[in-house]
Amino acid sequence: MTKSYDFDVLVIGAGPGGYHAAIRAAQLGLKTACAERESVGGVCLNVGCIPTKALLHAGDIRAEARHASDFGLQLAEQRMDIAKLNGWKDGIVKKLTGGVSGLFKANKVTHLIGNASFVDDHTVQVGDKTYTAASIIIATGSEPARLPGLDVDQQGIVDSTGALVMPDPVPARMLCVGGGVIGFEFAHIYNNMGSQVKVIEFLPTIIPGADADAVKAFQKSMEKQGIKVAVQTKANRAEKKQDGIHVELENVKTGEKSVEVFDRVLVAVGRRPRTDGLNPEKAGVTVTERGFVPADSKQRTNVPHIYSIGDVASNPMLAHKAMKEGLVAAEVIAGKPAEQDAVAIPGVVYTNPELAWVGLTEQEAKDKGYEVKIGNFPFAASGRAMTLQQTDGFVKMVVEKDTDLVLGVHIVGPRASDILSEASLALEMGATATDIALTIHAHPTLGEAMLEGAESAHKQAIHIVNR
Amino acid sequence: GRTIVPAAPSVRRLAREMQVDIHAVHGTGIAGRISEEDVRRTAGTPSVA
Ligand SMILES: Cc1cc2nc3c(=O)[nH]c(=O)nc-3n(C[C@H](O)[C@H](O)[C@H](O)COP(=O)(O)OP(=O)(O)OC[C@H]3O[C@@H](n4cnc5c(N)ncnc54)[C@H](O)[C@@H]3O)c2cc1C
Repeated sequence: MTKSYDFDVLVIGAGPGGYHAAIRAAQLGLKTACAERESVGGVCLNVGCIPTKALLHAGDIRAEARHASDFGLQLAEQRMDIAKLNGWKDGIVKKLTGGVSGLFKANKVTHLIGNASFVDDHTVQVGDKTYTAASIIIATGSEPARLPGLDVDQQGIVDSTGALVMPDPVPARMLCVGGGVIGFEFAHIYNNMGSQVKVIEFLPTIIPGADADAVKAFQKSMEKQGIKVAVQTKANRAEKKQDGIHVELENVKTGEKSVEVFDRVLVAVGRRPRTDGLNPEKAGVTVTERGFVPADSKQRTNVPHIYSIGDVASNPMLAHKAMKEGLVAAEVIAGKPAEQDAVAIPGVVYTNPELAWVGLTEQEAKDKGYEVKIGNFPFAASGRAMTLQQTDGFVKMVVEKDTDLVLGVHIVGPRASDILSEASLALEMGATATDIALTIHAHPTLGEAMLEGAESAHKQAIHIVNR
Repeated sequence: GRTIVPAAPSVRRLAREMQVDIHAVHGTGIAGRISEEDVRRTAGTPSVA
């Protein structure tokens, strides 16, 4: 006799990973529930990707309006209605989270409200009720890592969630502790809104994991826009005083200390997996020392019918990775031959210019023993970039020398994130630089920089002198 | 060694369906690219006789 359960699948967490898993499971005919203790959509929709991108857009418009005088548009004196800005951003979040709820209903996913915790390996308590399920997917996400000495109060000292509420007036002096993706996106937002921004990074380089040439160009562009960047620097402690927040900074190379004063301090030093209140040990699920619930390429934990996806499963902590893993887990449960076998996971910093990359950096490719050739095409030679008044950056293509296979693409430039999708497809399809070069790209577009980058790997780009 | 398997996502899925290890398939296309047919041949069930 087979045991009967309340649900075929119970998903814990309704972030990008969780809601993708739940919807796909339901599409495949499985009786599905999704438990969520806060708002559906998770970090990404509520306090992550979406609201940051809204503020970034608003800031970019402000910056672009200032430069419009270059082509004769004297836009009126700028006034900022900060309450309206925050409200507009919150409205987008509300619309999207409402959309997820609507999709749950349409797909007949049962939305369970409350904190979910394991009772045993087939039983989960949500709020004060218990439910059983044949398969369970852990999608509980992550939360900001803390930094001793800098206590987040969401007023003066904020984490990314606090930084999403633009204060009125905009802070005059802003410090971003952490030169990663989140640190730079907020640095860019506040800089564009009128703050004097400084970013400090403990490591010798910002945006760890990105290609060295791309990072160099990116940093140069950020500094050109007025953002101060200090690497190999850490913040020891912060003290609130009458005239602002006094932060002790230390150069980790020389040991030299100094105190600087800011009006707002963002702590963006990384994120940690979240399993509080979940009790995974009651289901026999392994949690690593750092708090991750690791999974194999079919997203299975050490307990075969319990799956783990998204930020709680592994790095990189990115929404599109969580989404993919959610689909894989649901399909595996439904008996499909799914697997997380992506060649590469794209990464993006949504500043202006954007920094976007997929696949191997030049250094990684060399470390793995590839012989490479490099293509490079600057946006300064792109007609489209000129018409947009955004000529900073380039497309850099890392190509295997003998096979011509594209190994990695690194873009600094306007809408690099959108251009990057072609690069992701190229990697997944095993495309060669020749394949990209032989594809007609519409003119004039930013995407043409991909074509010219590929041509450049063959020393045959048209709009630059090939060296 | 190499990390990139020169096979489209749909071909990789076909290999899983046919329980063929994609890393063991000899690609006959340009730059060693693996086709559906390469996977079927490895599985011993070519679609074209
Ligand atoms: C400021 C910021 C900007 C970002 N921008 C981007 C971006 O542009 N692009 C990108 O790809 N990524 C971005 N990210 C990262 C992205 O938000 C995460 O990678 C993504 O949200 C992870 O999805 P997830 O489903 O794994 O988890 P989460 O989104 O963290 O969702 C987990 C959900 O589970 C719920 N939960 C947890 N425990 C329980 C429990 N016991 N019971 C019930 N419910 C529970 C939580 O309330 C939460 O809603 C950003 C993150 C931040 C903070």
